Amino acid sequence: MPQIITEQNLRNLIDLLVKESKVVVGPKQADSVVLYQPLAAGSELTLDSLPRRSAKELFFPICENILSYQRLDGKMQVTDVDRSRFPETVLIGAPPCDAASPAILDAVFSWDYNDEFYLERRRKSTIVGIACTQGDDACFCTAVGLAPDTDTGSDLFLTPLKDGSYACKAVTEKGKALVDAHARLFGEAASADAAPFAEQGTEKLDLVKIKKWLEGHFEDPLWEKISDICVGCGSCAFICPACHCFDINDEGSTEQGSRRKHWDACGFSKFTNHASGHNPRDVQNKRYRNRIMHKFKYYDDKFGRTLCTGCGRCVRACPVGIDIAEILSTINAKQD
Amino acid sequence: MNAKANKNQSSCIEPSYYQAVTQAIRTQAVQVLKDGTVAGVVGYLPGRRKGTARPALITTPEEAEKLIFSPACVNNLSVYLTKSKKGVLKQGRIGIVAKGCDMRALAGLMGESQIKREDLFIIAVDCAGVYGSRAERSESVTEANIARKCHECTVHHPEGADFVAGAATELSGLTPLEAEEMARIEALPQAERWAFWKEHFSRCIRCMACRQVCPFCYCEQCLCDKNRPQAVENSPRPAGNTAWHIVRAMHLAGRCGGCAECERVCPMDIPLNLLNRRMAKELKELYDYEAGLAPAEKGPLNQYKEDDDQSFIK
Amino acid sequence: MHAEAKQHDFEPKIVAFVCTWCTYAGADLAGTSRMQYPANVRVLKFPCTGRIDPVFILRAFQKGADGVLVSGCHPGDCHYMAGNFHARRRFAAFRALLDFVGVDLHRLQFSWVSAAEGGKWVEVVTELTERVRAMGPMLEFKSLEHEEQWSAFQAMADVPGVVNTPELKEAYDKI
Ligand code: SF4
Ligand code: SF4
Ligand code: SF4
Ligand code: SF4
Ligand code: SF4
Repeated sequence: MPQIITEQNLRNLIDLLVKESKVVVGPKQADSVVLYQPLAAGSELTLDSLPRRSAKELFFPICENILSYQRLDGKMQVTDVDRSRFPETVLIGAPPCDAASPAILDAVFSWDYNDEFYLERRRKSTIVGIACTQGDDACFCTAVGLAPDTDTGSDLFLTPLKDGSYACKAVTEKGKALVDAHARLFGEAASADAAPFAEQGTEKLDLVKIKKWLEGHFEDPLWEKISDICVGCGSCAFICPACHCFDINDEGSTEQGSRRKHWDACGFSKFTNHASGHNPRDVQNKRYRNRIMHKFKYYDDKFGRTLCTGCGRCVRACPVGIDIAEILSTINAKQD
Repeated sequence: MNAKANKNQSSCIEPSYYQAVTQAIRTQAVQVLKDGTVAGVVGYLPGRRKGTARPALITTPEEAEKLIFSPACVNNLSVYLTKSKKGVLKQGRIGIVAKGCDMRALAGLMGESQIKREDLFIIAVDCAGVYGSRAERSESVTEANIARKCHECTVHHPEGADFVAGAATELSGLTPLEAEEMARIEALPQAERWAFWKEHFSRCIRCMACRQVCPFCYCEQCLCDKNRPQAVENSPRPAGNTAWHIVRAMHLAGRCGGCAECERVCPMDIPLNLLNRRMAKELKELYDYEAGLAPAEKGPLNQYKEDDDQSFIK
Repeated sequence: MHAEAKQHDFEPKIVAFVCTWCTYAGADLAGTSRMQYPANVRVLKFPCTGRIDPVFILRAFQKGADGVLVSGCHPGDCHYMAGNFHARRRFAAFRALLDFVGVDLHRLQFSWVSAAEGGKWVEVVTELTERVRAMGPMLEFKSLEHEEQWSAFQAMADVPGVVNTPELKEAYDKI
């Protein structure tokens, strides 16, 4: 018999975890937006809409200090961040398109260099994913090989049932440990009818074919056609669960300050600007081309994965309505 | 304008109105492209998803046949005429589809010598309003889904265009939401005002969408991107965010035409237009200046009168 | 609150942005005439009030100023003819903006002090210093400097609303 947890017990679980001094992060209403934020109590969990920003900030904060410096007695003292203090974190309520992202990003953060800031946070976190019933016409997770009910990336996976409770599946040891430690909150399923998922507007994409097309079309009129209108902001990259570029800035004075790592985006004109003033991606369509190339070709070349979970956030957020799902379908339909 | 005379007020704008405007824009755009008046037209095309639209830079009459105008045509297209987007348009005279509030940006850009009137063919829309961000994209426009800015629009009926599509129609009896919100904030005690903005600014992720869509943020080197010397921290933390928003509002004071694009595109729902409007209100009160009503060589902050108010100076 | 009683508790940092032609000369005159004024003020010299970007004021507050003074030539006396006229408008607008975002304008003073007005310089500086002293430190911008997005918090104890003992908070404020 599959295990289930009622909604009330899910909230109780959060209360318990908070008592155990874990940081519990989940979708929470903040003014008019829903964001992933630390929950002080189970009652704060909001499960009725997709958070505006992805869950990547749990592992890859918008901005974090990576060291600080101070001049003491004429000498510069540099202090590293004590990463052992990073808290144990439980992410609750991430839909598959968010829960899957760390599994994609692990590769890039532990490739030629181990980004301990990312990895330490990742080691200390447990992800409780939840099957998604909130999809809209911007979603296309099924088109890129996920689905509203895939448990990729989740340690524990919940599926909403018609009776309002959740079927639980321990996907990893971490997930199993979480269930075992709070066994009394979980029960046996009476029925196992899953709540229905929303329809998605995009046909399944042939990612291999798309990649192949991209290989031969670094130069193509398509880029100008679709992305001359791009205004070069960072919204699509910042809210994306898979984008992971960052910039490093020293902020402070000559006496003291911090070195900060914070999100960056290939849409910005400054992204590739050289100190000389030369910019190899001198026009916006070249920057947008990089977005597509990186997601559907370069990342695959290097790590064998696609850098998009089909969450549709960029589709909803783009100020000028650039629709990545539509672009992929266009490429998918191309004959050469 | 005679449009004003037969102004038609109602509580719901039917899709048929937008269809009529669409038709008029198409016909006009096709004509000016065919007869060589313009080298290209900046307009709107429908998006893949129902009830969406996006900017389009078109150069052929065939494409012009597909142009639309719907309540989803929210973008202020004048941003494509600025130097920050240089190179995306064909050389030559450009046709542009503009709503009343977009026309104010055009006038402002002319005043700032960024564009010349004779280089434009303005296809204005007699505008009944557009969707608010994240509002229901049902086909008609009502008080429930119209953008906040449209509640207080004073420029539905554009003047000085080369062609006007549609005939005056507008929603009646809309509550002035923004003015009310502004009054509410102004009336708060100072510490609560700080708390209000702190909450909002802290959420900012510095995606710069607000800057990138703004027709007046065309600086080739934004002060807020510089790091040697650094005037505003680049990092998305509450401190730098607050500085960024104050600088942004200051740099747009007296120039912003109130298209509210910045607020619309903000993925974090920060009410940026309140800052713009507050500045506009101050400049109107102090110097009787309103941005974008006509091209003006000098804005309120680059001119002066010897007897300007100085009661705040000792 | 009487100034002298508070003197040892809190010495406000006042930053003065002044133009070189009038106010700087006026402050110099106050000095050479041996007039006394609070030592709290740090003077920064500019060619003209027209060169004083509002961002400087913002930066001063961010970097720890408790009060800011901007001072230049009287209208009509500008060395560059109209710099101060332009500045006057810009600062009028900037004040409105700061007020709207919730900054207490009592911490920000503008004045016209000519090269001959050593006495006025002393008066303006003293008044601002004492007013700010009575108000206490400017905490708004300073506390912002310590704030992070939640995801950047490095330990359990820093996450707001989770564990937040007064001791921890105090320790954090001291950073
Ligand atoms: S590229 Fe767009 S749809 Fe894909 S994961 Fe990123 S935000 Fe989501
Ligand atoms: S695609 Fe859209 S969201 Fe992304 S940089 Fe361009 S305009 Fe911004
Ligand atoms: S503000 Fe006025 S002109 Fe602009 S979109 Fe709204 S109704 Fe149209
Ligand atoms: S659009 Fe919003 S989140 Fe992005 S930089 Fe502007 S205010 Fe910040
Ligand atoms: S500041 Fe905002 S409202 Fe004003 S012109 Fe720019 S985008 Fe439009």
